[in-house]
Amino acid sequence: MTSNQCIPWQGNLACIQQNGIVIKSRHSIENEHVFGPDSDYTTLAISGLNLLSDELTINEVRSNSLIDDLTLQACGYLIDEKAEWTINCNSDASVSISNGEVQSWDIEGEEMDKDFHSSIQSAWKAEMDAVSQGAFVSEQAYRSGADSRMNFASQQLGDIRIWPPREMIGDQRPEQSTPLSQSGTIESWTKLSAGGAPSEFSLRAPILDGIGTVFVRMDDGPCGVFLIADDDSGEPEIGDKVTFAVRRLYAQDGLIRYGLKAILS
Amino acid sequence: MVDVAVIGAGQTKFGNHPLGLKGMWAESAENAYASIDGDFDPSMVDEAFIGSIAFGGGQIGNTAALLTEHTGMDNIPVRRVENACASSGFAFRDAWMAIKSGQADIVVAGGIEKMNDLSPERKRFWLGVSGDTEWERLAGLTFPGTYALMARRHFHEFDSQHDDLVNISVKNHQHGLDNEYAHLRKDVSFDKAQNGFMVADPLTLYDCCPTSDGASTVILAADHVAKKLCEDPVWVLGSGAGSDHLALHDRPSITQLIATQRAATSAYNQAGITANDVDLAEVHDCFTIAELMATEDLGFANRGEGGLFAREGRGIRNQGRVTINASGGLKSKGHPLGATGTGQVVEVFKQLRGEVEQTRQVRDASIALTHNVGGSGATCAVHVFGRELL
Repeated sequence: MTSNQCIPWQGNLACIQQNGIVIKSRHSIENEHVFGPDSDYTTLAISGLNLLSDELTINEVRSNSLIDDLTLQACGYLIDEKAEWTINCNSDASVSISNGEVQSWDIEGEEMDKDFHSSIQSAWKAEMDAVSQGAFVSEQAYRSGADSRMNFASQQLGDIRIWPPREMIGDQRPEQSTPLSQSGTIESWTKLSAGGAPSEFSLRAPILDGIGTVFVRMDDGPCGVFLIADDDSGEPEIGDKVTFAVRRLYAQDGLIRYGLKAILS
Repeated sequence: MVDVAVIGAGQTKFGNHPLGLKGMWAESAENAYASIDGDFDPSMVDEAFIGSIAFGGGQIGNTAALLTEHTGMDNIPVRRVENACASSGFAFRDAWMAIKSGQADIVVAGGIEKMNDLSPERKRFWLGVSGDTEWERLAGLTFPGTYALMARRHFHEFDSQHDDLVNISVKNHQHGLDNEYAHLRKDVSFDKAQNGFMVADPLTLYDCCPTSDGASTVILAADHVAKKLCEDPVWVLGSGAGSDHLALHDRPSITQLIATQRAATSAYNQAGITANDVDLAEVHDCFTIAELMATEDLGFANRGEGGLFAREGRGIRNQGRVTINASGGLKSKGHPLGATGTGQVVEVFKQLRGEVEQTRQVRDASIALTHNVGGSGATCAVHVFGRELL
């Protein structure tokens, strides 16, 4: 790895060092870094591991109590207390992933409105306590699709690449295939007003001034609908390229649901 | 094989209804019974199919048994039919099949939904249960969002634009103005509809149907019974239905509804007609873009020319070859989910018999069509009706 190289990565800031990386939220309030509207230690850790995995093979990590281990595993990283790589969660909205000593580093963040940050964090807390009224994505359903939701795990049937996963197509069951590449092109988009958003989003949608969604054709062929990461208020255009990163989707029944969101180019 | 006719049809006013499920259903059934020319008694009904999503505020399980026991249809086979917003379109098809099969002579098809006794949050919850829960809902989509994605893509691929949707909204509000059963009886100007509050970009409030309470009841009969009970039956000339992938991302195109195309082809073939023969069509305009796409999918306009069709006012009552949504459609008449499909049949029954308000009457109408879509197009039922058997 190149030492002390700092780059923007999946909507975050990453500093690559000799023994690992430090990945930090790009958002700050009065020069102190804070989490974005849909990020936390888990999303930062996944983002950092994805970056490290570009150059290294990392299969197991030593996790941290502030990380959702099951989500990490859905992204392909096993939890092992004897693993070479350790995840540490830092108070400045950053995560270090290392096999030795790494240094914290200072970098200027994007200033976030203090009231907005406070409102959105309060909404997340309240959302955790919200209880579903019936038809919703249960924890079991969420977990069973997690590798596709978090890691684009796909299937193959003949020449056709399939995502999200399907059971039977005709009289055949598709084979498990490699994950899709994490890029695609916007074919349509919308922004739902707070009043038009699903009830799961009803606490945060008014604070975010609506919910942005894109319909994307992935470079590998399949299509999908995705929320826009970090509540990016930029207006997408049909034909724009997007990449993806894991972020919080919503919380319910005490469980945060994570998934891939689109990062606008 | 036996022919099937509609011999009676009635509904409640759609909107904010003061009555609950039982009261609304009774009012609707009473209106349907009263519309029958001959000597009819509800104990003559052999079977009943009632469409409803069972929108959270009342009886969910065994709804049909509860409702029919309050309307004189005791001890007969009944069931609730659920196919999202197409629930009663499919209830009607089931009723038609029950008679066609020879198992029944008189069958009731109906629909009901009570939507406005819930808090806004609960309402949003229920409005989202019929889309793809595992992927679309987790991406923050409800139906305004899915139809907004379709609209923007249609604008991108074809010569269509938001003003075309505005024309549809203005037309349907104009059509519904004199409909005593309509939820939103408002004269909406082009300027007002063009500048409505943005619900799901590019769809504004004036592109979206309201959430309504309501019930509708239709009585079908085999030909040998129909002729005894009804002087002027409306014949079911064709019944078609189709389905498609639930989620948009699994469909080859998001600018057409394959389920509609399949249902229409089947219904037209059965009736021995083409789209050119249809005088009036009640189409499923839950959002104005849905009507625009329906005019293409049903064959009233060529693919990609739904915008032009709307722009030229070709669906306006008594102006073009076909009148689209003479009732005001879902946009003005209202959309009590489960009641919408058979509510459309109530309209064409009255239109073909010349029984609607004079200002709303489609002139010389002899062939009519109903088009009822479930959700964003996962299910669809299309029926063709005629004043005469062809």
